[in-house]
Amino acid sequence: MRKADIVTAAILLGVGLLVGFDCVRLGVGWGMEGPRAGFWPFLMAAGMVVGSVIILVQAVQRKGLSKSNKPFIPREAIKPVLKCAIPAAAMVVLTEYTGLYIAAGLYLAVYMRWIGRHSWVTVLSLSIAIPLISYFVFDKFFLIPMPEGSLKGFLGF
Amino acid sequence: MDILGHLWMGLQVATTPYNLLVGVAGIILGIIVGVLPGLGGANGCAILIPVTFVMPPTAAVILLSSLYWGALYGGAITSILFNIPGEPWAVAVIFDGYPMAKKGKGGQALCASFFAHFVGGLFGAVLLTFFAPVVAEFSLRFGPPETFSVMVLTFSALVGLGGKSPIKTLVATCLGFAMASVGIDIVSGQLRFTYGTTFLMGGFNFIVAVIGLFGLGEIFLTVEEGLKMEGVKAKLTLKDIAEVLRAMRKYWKTVVMGAIVGVWMGFKPGGATPASFMAYGFAKAGSAEQDQFGKGHIAGVLAPEAAAHGAGTSALLPMITLGIPGSPTAAVILGGLMIWGLQPGPMLFHDKPDFVWGLIASTWTGLFIGLAVVLAFAPAFAAVLRAPFAILMPIIVFVCAMGAYAVNNRMIDVWYMIIFGIIGYAFKKLEYSMAPMLLALVLGDMAEQTFRQSLIMSQGSLWIFLKPPIALPLMIAGAVIGCWPMITLVRDRIRKGKEAAAKS
Repeated sequence: MRKADIVTAAILLGVGLLVGFDCVRLGVGWGMEGPRAGFWPFLMAAGMVVGSVIILVQAVQRKGLSKSNKPFIPREAIKPVLKCAIPAAAMVVLTEYTGLYIAAGLYLAVYMRWIGRHSWVTVLSLSIAIPLISYFVFDKFFLIPMPEGSLKGFLGF
Repeated sequence: MDILGHLWMGLQVATTPYNLLVGVAGIILGIIVGVLPGLGGANGCAILIPVTFVMPPTAAVILLSSLYWGALYGGAITSILFNIPGEPWAVAVIFDGYPMAKKGKGGQALCASFFAHFVGGLFGAVLLTFFAPVVAEFSLRFGPPETFSVMVLTFSALVGLGGKSPIKTLVATCLGFAMASVGIDIVSGQLRFTYGTTFLMGGFNFIVAVIGLFGLGEIFLTVEEGLKMEGVKAKLTLKDIAEVLRAMRKYWKTVVMGAIVGVWMGFKPGGATPASFMAYGFAKAGSAEQDQFGKGHIAGVLAPEAAAHGAGTSALLPMITLGIPGSPTAAVILGGLMIWGLQPGPMLFHDKPDFVWGLIASTWTGLFIGLAVVLAFAPAFAAVLRAPFAILMPIIVFVCAMGAYAVNNRMIDVWYMIIFGIIGYAFKKLEYSMAPMLLALVLGDMAEQTFRQSLIMSQGSLWIFLKPPIALPLMIAGAVIGCWPMITLVRDRIRKGKEAAAKS
């Protein structure tokens, strides 16, 4: 937990510095238009930098306390979390090519079969029905288009 | 009376068949969303915002607010029957609700929670109806410095009273504000924080952030805990209702206390969760049967639930009067207002009375519809959770992805959603509070605009934020509340030092 705390604080410190430097480019002072574009974000960046340095220092000092030895993710929980995150990311990658509905159908099928170990009947019927229903509700009824993916244009239909 | 006349007009708006239908749909969706892990009022509303584009604004706000009421009811079902809080403010009800359900009194516990919600909501609705116009009238006098100081008060309340670690809350808030300023600066026309990339030019959309932080992040946590949905089965019978009504008569003071605590805490940001704990604490402290608490005492269900719903309802008050939301869900509804082209704030009462009063009236109708729906179908909603998790989870992720994409029809938003999901997961574990970050993202533009306008008004002098009569007290209150953790720290140190001195 302590390590994760340090890493997160360091990342936040980095983001704060990144924002802060861009603010300096934009100008943090007083310009023609009043406070310049970097003025307000600079205050925020300063808040982030100061805050994350304090968190960092506190986390580093906490060494040896029993509470801080608790791991960020329990060892046995790493697998299920990754099993959840990787297919979700894969679905998004796939969406770029096949569109959301096909990607979601595959994602639902893979997850239900692989993790849930449900029967093929359940898996197939749900992973076809759910994207299909969503297609009619969103694309047809509410007229909200979903990503179509590059394959559609490529195949020419 | 003027207010009653307005309310009557609002009721006519809220009870047109279309709006009534929208309201019922919102409540049912809300309960489902409240029951499901990973979905809550905030991201339920966020996902539905694209759907509301095809509706008139009044119907749209009724849909979202009804979803909010439904989610408030729904969170209790999971807490009581499954020992899992569906929402953060439904944690306090677990202490006594789950033991009751285990003892076979699940029906009673549910019923007690629903009626308590109703009473809490009633108090909230009364406050909203009679107090909102007054606050709106008053805040018409607010200029940029006053609005900015209200925001300072809001965020210092979140920092000072909210999370376990005030510094982490501060950093999260600043991060939210920094993210809000990514993209084109509308005053100077400069590109900010895009670092030469095109995909950052559009900035971050808060709806996507909500879906990622509160949706995906929550799902990762649920998966990590290896959640098994083993709920207690419960039936709701008329006998349960009768018994609960009898108990409510006995403990009416507890219920009213809970509702008042809720309403009072609610219109400060982030108030619902502390309100429910406070109400539970008060109920326990004031009870003659203290040893029964935690073992399934009905008053331990009544008090936090009344507070939670009271707080949830009154969170809308600062949203419609000042344009400052009191809870993450209210923040999303506020964002919706902006997307529908309405300027939140006091002028709404003048410009769009049918919208404002339609919304207020829908809190009244929503109360009755909500109570009827949950009493009739609570077991059916609980059954949703009994569906295998490996089926529910991918469906929730799919729905989240649809919601994230539909906001702006941008594929990059779906990626942002996943990134925000990871951020949400890490922040939740490391106790960075996400509500202030989200609020900062929503209010970022407004905060910066009012800040700049004030400084232009004063030609650069910061004293404008300490201008009496309105800005000064707000700023002082903000400073005191924001520094509260430091004040208590110093006080404790002094006390400890004295004790140590006394010992030696």
